[in-house]
Amino acid sequence: MREPRKLTDSDRFNLMLALVGNLIDGAEYDVPELAKHFKVPEVEITNAVKNLGFIEINHHSPYGIDFDELEDGNVAVNYKEKMSLKEVPRLSARQASALAAGLVYLKSIPGLADSDEIETLQKIIASGFDKTQAPEIKINPIGIDLDIRILRQAINKGVAIKCDYQDNKGVTSIGRVIEPLRIDPQSELIYLRGWCQQKQALRSFRIDRMRNTVILPDVPISEAAKQAELQDEIYVPSDNDIEVVLEVEPGAYGLMYDLKPIAETVVVNKTSRRFTVKVGDVRNLGPLVTRYGGGAKVISPADAKKAVRDFALAAINPSIGSVPKDAE
Amino acid sequence: MADKSVAKYKISRPERLFALTCALLYSKVGLSKHQILSSIPGYMADYKPNGNNKSLERKFERDKTTLKHNGIIAEAVIPAHEDENNQATVYVIKKSDFTWPENIQLTARQLALLTLAAEAWAGGSLSTAANKGIVKLRSMGVVGEDSDIVGIAPRIIEHEPNFREINNAISDLRVIKFDYRNPNTGVIETRSVEPWLIQHLDGQWVVLGFDQKNKEARNFMLRRMISRVIVSANSAPFDAPSTEAIQKATEDLEKFADKQIAKIRIKPDTAAWFKYETKLNEQKAKDVVTLRYYDKFVLAEQIREYPGQIEVLEPKELDDLVQAGYKKVVDDHA
Repeated sequence: MREPRKLTDSDRFNLMLALVGNLIDGAEYDVPELAKHFKVPEVEITNAVKNLGFIEINHHSPYGIDFDELEDGNVAVNYKEKMSLKEVPRLSARQASALAAGLVYLKSIPGLADSDEIETLQKIIASGFDKTQAPEIKINPIGIDLDIRILRQAINKGVAIKCDYQDNKGVTSIGRVIEPLRIDPQSELIYLRGWCQQKQALRSFRIDRMRNTVILPDVPISEAAKQAELQDEIYVPSDNDIEVVLEVEPGAYGLMYDLKPIAETVVVNKTSRRFTVKVGDVRNLGPLVTRYGGGAKVISPADAKKAVRDFALAAINPSIGSVPKDAE
Repeated sequence: MADKSVAKYKISRPERLFALTCALLYSKVGLSKHQILSSIPGYMADYKPNGNNKSLERKFERDKTTLKHNGIIAEAVIPAHEDENNQATVYVIKKSDFTWPENIQLTARQLALLTLAAEAWAGGSLSTAANKGIVKLRSMGVVGEDSDIVGIAPRIIEHEPNFREINNAISDLRVIKFDYRNPNTGVIETRSVEPWLIQHLDGQWVVLGFDQKNKEARNFMLRRMISRVIVSANSAPFDAPSTEAIQKATEDLEKFADKQIAKIRIKPDTAAWFKYETKLNEQKAKDVVTLRYYDKFVLAEQIREYPGQIEVLEPKELDDLVQAGYKKVVDDHA
């Protein structure tokens, strides 16, 4: 689990608005269930309810709060005055854009939800903000043509899967058994985070490189997999990794974010930046660097430079392209 | 109970904002600045009846902005009988702007999907806005229900350093300036743009806006900006673009992309084949995939990940670009 973000004053105000929109007059709730519902720490709920109780407008308190009950972790509100707000306000243009864009993205992920379901939610979001304001962000549907249904079934049932998997060196292993833990769609790519029985470690698998996936209903997720802690980062460096120095031009700055530099980025000149990353296998740098066609280059070590050169040479060396037709 | 023991209690900012919202929403004719500052908790303690209240006024202005960011519009109006006497300005939150048009109840599954939509921005520039939006929506769900959506964590990848500034400039209608590299010529030029919309197209973040030099709507890829954007905060805000203008510009870009067609041949049993297999099946093609694209440089990057596995059949300029890139990589790593 990620650490909950620290709440700002504006967030706390927003939480107060949401609470009065949710709490039914006179009904009783307990602090932990409200904290779970709004996904905030319990102390934030207690403070927000306290704040509501302290509010006075024209010498009247619109919200009647039993402070003794609150000390015991129970919440009940009496809406005493006409002036007590009981509705949640609409969304701001940015809030609506962010949620609407998120929904478009969910719609692009095959097998996650029915498109009718998403469309209903899109209509609700659209109804909740002032349409004279134009949206600020637009996500166009992303053409992901993979089906994640089998994987979701396996995760829900808590069982392993078997598939043929092509690794990032182009080598396909047949019948690989993976204990699936979480599906991580990251823009166009979808990763399966899972426990690899073969390696006895957490691994990220690209779903577009999986073929012939089947559920193994009789192979439950192992204890080791359940204990493993998933990080948000797809790639977690290990102690055996090699340090590689790269230099990038603006068009390839994205590499700095993708590869997570281990030290401060160095400014080489007006546009070039140099940074150091840790890499498990230098051959993995081939496609990452080559795609930029010169916008990125490896400075050191020599074997990492050679790995990239060899990778790109496959495109230029004609012998690689002309395999005899009867070759096996 | 709220009795004298809390008399010395210092009003927190969330409380002040909440009290301000209630007061402006339920006042029949609106409240003047004087009435607000002298009667609403959080201001009134510091209010000087005949003195200088400049710092309180600034506090009120900041609070109005915060309300706006939370989707609450405190409008300044001059009552009709006061003609144009702006001394008589009052502030009001219109109920019709505030409340949702219908009573919405969300199921646990709907809330779970909306939460996923919000969390897709985790760590990105929009995570705060998405988070606040989802907290509001949770108030329309039933406390204590669970859903079946587990084991998936979608993320929209957004790590453009200029994203937030541009997004703010769109909301505030501010002109942005940045150094932009033309990919065709390599020339770097400073551009002034009235930003309208940020789009995610084919994996790239693109800002659509009115280019002040060329006097027309243009698209700029965020990753081709080679400076931080500068927002001109002092000049007047530009006129908000019409929905039609934005729609026309986005349609123009789609029409442009419709004309950009590439054909590539994929070598069987390679990593590239894995990537394009579904497309080949869809297009019922043996080994040639047809692709529609927005930008040849972006497509060339995608192709270069598979050296020796993809042959670019057309257009020739795409093939040249791919090959020149390979050559440069080989030379750079000699």
